[in-house]
Amino acid sequence: MGEVELSCLAYVKMYLHACLFPRCSVNGLLLSSSPAGGAVCVTDCVPLLHTHLPLAPITQLALTQVDVWCAQTQQRIVGYYQANACVSDSSPTPCALKIADKIAEQCNNAVLLMIDGGKMSPDYRVPPIVMYERKDTRWTLKDKHTIMLRQWEETRDIASQLLDSGDHSLLVDFDSHLDDITRDWTNQKLNAKIAELASPANDNLGVCQLGNPVLR
Amino acid sequence: LNVLIIVFTEMRDKLRKWREDNHRNSEQIVDVGEELINEHASKLGDDIWIIYEQVMIAALDCSRDDLAWTCLQELKRQFPGSQRVKRLAGMRLEALEKYEDASKQYDSILQDDPTNTAARKRKISILKAQGKSAEAIRELNEYLEQFVGDQEAWHELSELYINEHDYGKAAFCLEELMMTNPHNHLYCEQYAEVKYTQGGLENLELSRKYFAQALKLNNRNMRALFGLYMSASHIAASPKVNATVKKANVKYATWATNQINRAYQVSYARCLL
Repeated sequence: MGEVELSCLAYVKMYLHACLFPRCSVNGLLLSSSPAGGAVCVTDCVPLLHTHLPLAPITQLALTQVDVWCAQTQQRIVGYYQANACVSDSSPTPCALKIADKIAEQCNNAVLLMIDGGKMSPDYRVPPIVMYERKDTRWTLKDKHTIMLRQWEETRDIASQLLDSGDHSLLVDFDSHLDDITRDWTNQKLNAKIAELASPANDNLGVCQLGNPVLR
Repeated sequence: LNVLIIVFTEMRDKLRKWREDNHRNSEQIVDVGEELINEHASKLGDDIWIIYEQVMIAALDCSRDDLAWTCLQELKRQFPGSQRVKRLAGMRLEALEKYEDASKQYDSILQDDPTNTAARKRKISILKAQGKSAEAIRELNEYLEQFVGDQEAWHELSELYINEHDYGKAAFCLEELMMTNPHNHLYCEQYAEVKYTQGGLENLELSRKYFAQALKLNNRNMRALFGLYMSASHIAASPKVNATVKKANVKYATWATNQINRAYQVSYARCLL
């Protein structure tokens, strides 16, 4: 099926979200600022919850609010990510499938991304993620060769740097926003920090296709 | 010299506060605790033992087995044969994912003292860590038959049921908690969320009532405020309700909207300051 590209910004925030709440399952939405049609470019993400993922009210609320924000900022919800608390099992839970289904109703080639906690170590060589796409009402594993992360090594280094500096605690998910509504779930501050650390884009360096070793 | 003493007492008091509040801010505890132990052990007096315990558990949380091991050795030396220290040794085995050895450790505690609730709960934690939810639920139910007043256990059980999508049973656990903690707004709000998730008009109305109750207990609970708005809106929109009920729920939803808008306005003002 279609190609999916995961931006540095989206990956780093997703990864930091999982690191910020290591004892909880966490989830969030994947966004795209590219028009529909062709490859899916995940350009950003919104971290949602770290408590009670299966419960409906806050999830519904978050989906509505993110929808509104997307309309205002010319973005679309193109997918969903989740990291399970139990690292030995990174398969999508019923709640993950449900939310992904809902997203797929509005977005043809929506993706479901599971972060594999078992593969998150300080020196991991490949992105610890598994992607699923919808084929005839079922979510099936995506061919690794269709998933791309540009500037992978740089992305990975940025994530490590933010963890080491403790800046990952800047990340606000929707749950945290509800605990203190002065906190910004669009994460403008963290976005700026990530942009600061990212060098000017160079398409030829460190492109990572999940199915292949890193190209140089 | 005075500055050093102030710093030391501040650190010790911080640790005490975190202990009393049962905070799981393990990275901070390790930071403060390790320095306290290394630099100021002699000044701590008998406090040192409880600090060793607190720091050890935090160290396990941060994968600092070196620090955990040091604390454990000190405690073993001071309290040989203690069940409490045995349990800590078990927790270290858990952190190292040596679940069978950890389980044996807890079994030996239970052999000497079958009423040791800590050991029983650790065994259930092992099941949870291994992803054996059904077994964990079964064991926790058995535990609660004997120790019916254990709030922590009831809450843990409600979380396990929520993860299994067994909302009816989760609601039952939260009902137990609300009965024994009628002033706790969080239990009310969680109960309301479970009811909302179960769906159907009756459950929606119950959820609205409990969101409202949570707000009565804490008018700053944003989840309860949003929950009130959403449940009232859904009820008002339902074709099954009569005009009176519809009108009332529109009123509740409108009230909630106003409160939400006000809360955000206040927060924006605060941000600008």
